[in-house]
Amino acid sequence: MATKDSGADAFYLRYYIGHRGIFGHEFLEFEFRPDGKLRYANNSNYKNDTMIRKEAYVSPAVMAELRRIVTESEIMQEDDQQWPMPDRVGRQELEIVFNSEHISFTTSKIGSLAEITGTKDPDGLRTFYYLVQDLKCLVFSLIGLHFKIRPI
Amino acid sequence: STDRIASMADTRDIIRITEDTEDDFEQVVGGGGGDEGVRLVKESAKSRKGRGFESEQDRDDTMEFDAVGIDDGDTAGPQRSVEGWILFVRNLHEETTEDDLMDKFNEYGEVKSLHLNLNRRTGYIKGYALVEFEHYKEASTAQNKLNGADLNGQRMQVDWAFTRGPSGGGGGGRKSRRQRDTKPQQRSERSRSR
Repeated sequence: MATKDSGADAFYLRYYIGHRGIFGHEFLEFEFRPDGKLRYANNSNYKNDTMIRKEAYVSPAVMAELRRIVTESEIMQEDDQQWPMPDRVGRQELEIVFNSEHISFTTSKIGSLAEITGTKDPDGLRTFYYLVQDLKCLVFSLIGLHFKIRPI
Repeated sequence: STDRIASMADTRDIIRITEDTEDDFEQVVGGGGGDEGVRLVKESAKSRKGRGFESEQDRDDTMEFDAVGIDDGDTAGPQRSVEGWILFVRNLHEETTEDDLMDKFNEYGEVKSLHLNLNRRTGYIKGYALVEFEHYKEASTAQNKLNGADLNGQRMQVDWAFTRGPSGGGGGGRKSRRQRDTKPQQRSERSRSR
């Protein structure tokens, strides 16, 4: 049996967004694993692009910054119970293990901040919305520069 | 399994990131290595929250990921990127500009790329940056000299952005051998014990 980690320092983060558009099924997913491996996948049928799948090990410094971003967002204090359910139009998933807490949130696609105002938990959704933006920025920079591609 | 999640309706044709099939030698480094590490980390959590746990579905993934020089079993030394060497800079003052960084880093070589990302909510910078040099010497020297250096009243933290192999969560690990029923991945990713 493998040695079990104490769990106190363990960190894991995964984000997924997928939807049906006029170009068919499209999705984006990235995952930061506890050992620093970043996995990125983007499937778009726009112009018949094939799927992009990249992976790289990011340094402990990057993982530390990721933790800081998550901490600053206060996402771990939120709850998705009042958020719009994923629907046929689209789905988002955010899964994080941090400080011995494991969250796994699901919701529909959020097109813009304006959509959030009418919901039951606008503050929570706003937190989610901005965190996702920040995570995407980080991941696109990492993947884009490492592979010299435009990742989306 | 805790990492199976509900999917959209009619999504059988969507391929997702999920557990791949690794070969017999799985290295567990501080509980963080490979798919086993992910599973252990999820199980080690003391609390759970969210609708994502409510329904589960098998995620099937048989495709590989492209990588640059990756080595799942070996060192955590710096890894070169496709066109150069990338540094990761942290603890930047929120009003730091691209020019501020160029001034600092150009001293060690030509900066080929610079990403100074914004905080999407506040409009200030998020606090980190990525800086690319073409040559290892340039990046390495910049990292040495600028790590801890002052910029706008804050001490920059400068490190490599990418490593050749995994970094453990804490402490050493040990190799475990597991028999798999599924076929190993095509691309050989042999782990080595440390």
